[in-house]
Amino acid sequence: MVKNVITSKVAGESCIHVKHDSGLDIYICEMPGFSTVEAILGTKYGSVNTMFRTAGDEDFTTVPEGIAHFLEHKLFENEDCGVFELYAKTGASANAMTSFDRTCYLFGCSKNYTENLRILLDFVQKPYFTQETVDKEQGIIGQEIQMTSDSPEWRVFFNMLRCMYRSHPVRIDIAGTQESIAKIDAPLLYKCYDTFYNLNNMALSIAGNVRADEVLAICDELLRPCEDNGLETVFPDEPDGIIQPEIREKQHIGKTIFNLGYKCRPYSGEERLRMSMAASLASAILTDASTDMFVSLLESELINSGFGAEVFFGDGWSALIFSGESDSPEKVRDALFAEIERISREGVDEAIFRRIKRSTYGLLIRELNNVDAVANIMLNGHLDGVGPYDAIDIVSALTAEDINNFIKNELRNDNTVLSVIEKEGGSQ
Amino acid sequence: MRINRTELGENIGFTSVADEKFKTCSVYVRFMTPLDPENAAANSLAVSSLSASSSALPSVAALNERLSSLYGSALGSFSRKRGDIQILGLSASWICSRYALEGEDVESEMLSLFRDCLFSPDVTDGAFSAASFRITKNDLLDHIDAEMNNKRGYALDRASEIAYAGEPAEFSCCGTRASAEAVTPESAYSAYLRLLSTAQIEIYYVAPEESKAVPEMFRREFSAIERRSQKCTFRAVSPAKSEPVTVTEEMDVNQCKTVLAFKSDSDDIYAMRVMSAILGETPVSKLFVNVRERLSLCYYCACRYSPAKNTLFVDSGVEKANIEAAETEILRQLDEIRNGNVTEDELESAFLVLDNSLAAVGDTPSSYSSWYFERFCDGIKIDPKQQSERYREVTKERIIAAARSFRLDSRYYMTVTEGCK
Repeated sequence: MVKNVITSKVAGESCIHVKHDSGLDIYICEMPGFSTVEAILGTKYGSVNTMFRTAGDEDFTTVPEGIAHFLEHKLFENEDCGVFELYAKTGASANAMTSFDRTCYLFGCSKNYTENLRILLDFVQKPYFTQETVDKEQGIIGQEIQMTSDSPEWRVFFNMLRCMYRSHPVRIDIAGTQESIAKIDAPLLYKCYDTFYNLNNMALSIAGNVRADEVLAICDELLRPCEDNGLETVFPDEPDGIIQPEIREKQHIGKTIFNLGYKCRPYSGEERLRMSMAASLASAILTDASTDMFVSLLESELINSGFGAEVFFGDGWSALIFSGESDSPEKVRDALFAEIERISREGVDEAIFRRIKRSTYGLLIRELNNVDAVANIMLNGHLDGVGPYDAIDIVSALTAEDINNFIKNELRNDNTVLSVIEKEGGSQ
Repeated sequence: MRINRTELGENIGFTSVADEKFKTCSVYVRFMTPLDPENAAANSLAVSSLSASSSALPSVAALNERLSSLYGSALGSFSRKRGDIQILGLSASWICSRYALEGEDVESEMLSLFRDCLFSPDVTDGAFSAASFRITKNDLLDHIDAEMNNKRGYALDRASEIAYAGEPAEFSCCGTRASAEAVTPESAYSAYLRLLSTAQIEIYYVAPEESKAVPEMFRREFSAIERRSQKCTFRAVSPAKSEPVTVTEEMDVNQCKTVLAFKSDSDDIYAMRVMSAILGETPVSKLFVNVRERLSLCYYCACRYSPAKNTLFVDSGVEKANIEAAETEILRQLDEIRNGNVTEDELESAFLVLDNSLAAVGDTPSSYSSWYFERFCDGIKIDPKQQSERYREVTKERIIAAARSFRLDSRYYMTVTEGCK
């Protein structure tokens, strides 16, 4: 077992990282004065991982869309009872989530954290799937797919991704489709479990009112050592460029919404973090409520104060997505095109850059005030291949030139998709 | 942690929470006034105008520039309802000065900015600045229009309108689109002056250390305002209708929504809350275990209890073909509790969930502010530990009595338009 203390010089915070003998990476942040504990056990396995092999496999296996999410649902069921029943005996609030490139099992509690940690480590290492329970889950997930298809925010986002990515599986819905989940069976679930739930592919993050020695003693007791299985995931070649620049759909909603996505080049490891922080600062500058473009759009009622941007970077994909409510999203797109061209030509205003950088630093410091946020920062950092406090250090080191380069090199007008969900009977 | 409440003036309370673990300071000012459809939109726009600009920073751009230069300090407004009362608020938070990179006094700067927003707003000739007001009003109109985008939230709002028909709680805390459109910079400022004078006001300040400067600032500023306020009535039990009312609306959706509203005349709010947890607030509650997991009748099925109106809402997302079966099972699960079919495990699980959520109060600045404010509205002086003990004192008999006291008041169905799906 290798134990390190990781410290942020800028924020003065620290946490413990342990490379456990079982293969699991463990992050612990003791937060004096806090009552709650947040624990997350995550695996680098999400909806995009549809093609893979391990060292023992000759060929790659291709699995149905939505299987990572399906597996997350099924892991919540033990041979004897549901996992929620176990947490009911401690009072913890438990949940799980699957995203594009990770699956996480978490609990939050104010009491009995050691017992909750035992439940978490135990059930995630103990899969139990039968065809009968798989068949039943297909009905429940089918209803979840129905529900999310009524969400305009979900539709506008996935419509955009489908027009942006030709081959990369980031274009598919995390839960899959009714047709794809119908192909899932128990042996396939075991295959995915054995591949991706190897402890060498996972991390545990726990923060709040905890003691590191207690956490590590439970890990020593419950973690079963895993051989690194030489996991290899592959993605189809994704060509540069987009499929179509605009997509519109009508729904029974009250206000038209839009996503305007810029497809960027994908990055990995520390370079991804550096580029994502540069993207974050660039988007903060472009959506800053004090700039001429923002004020002009607000005053002409083309946007409202909810206009914002999201940095969407992962394994094999990168995009910067602007979103908001507007009756004329194409005019918002025109304004952004013009502003990005202007900044590419003239560079970002130094004073605005310094202000936004300071603001971003303040937001990162505020996150350290929160137990949930700290647990997520440690886990996400590890799954992204960086340290928990690297974001603060990277932001501190970014220059205006870095932002200029990001805007000039990554935000190409011919690489954007405008996705709109229009109000039925609207004026467009 | 040290908590201290003082009266700064007529119906103006100031609560200071000092907790050294925090890296930020936060302030929340809440104005409370009877919910009145005539004034709801104007009140809402009045308070949101305060967070758009001030006399010192007289534009949306200037105010936002200042906030971001102060390390991304946050300033926001909100409007919500609690029973028949409209609660309007202005809040701010900022990092403590010790984290400032160049030694800036962030705390003094933000306190000054917040004071200007509240007591020296961006007003000329008795009206909010037209430019800032237009942006604020557009935000509100878009917010009202967008309510339908979230189908689950919209269904709960419609169920609330139907359940509370004829009572102030029937109305939205944002007003209707028409009433919001009618508000002018003049009428919004008049509404603000009315709130300053007549609303009940509660202020919360949460920081690593107590401050003398903060309450003194509020005391000084409020002393210049002539107050003629009345205490609000925070609990207004809603009577059940003689016969349940049913409203069905068709929409082009994939998943139907149903909301059942039940009302009670019991005063045993602790038993009601425990009963609600057993019925449908957790993944081991009767509704989740039976309606979703055992019978697979819907994707979600949950309940929430509103003590202010003594009403219980049960909502579910369900396929059209399963609406009737899901409702039958929901009613059957409520009957199970009425008939005393509550296991020791179910009871203990409900206590543990409530214990855990109460023990978490204080881990964020907003949890201190919102929890103690809710107890203020309840008119009960207790701490989270004491509230946990009150729940623990609830017996199975009290839970049965609570369940038996609920009568079905109304049903709201959002169903799939025929021929669309």
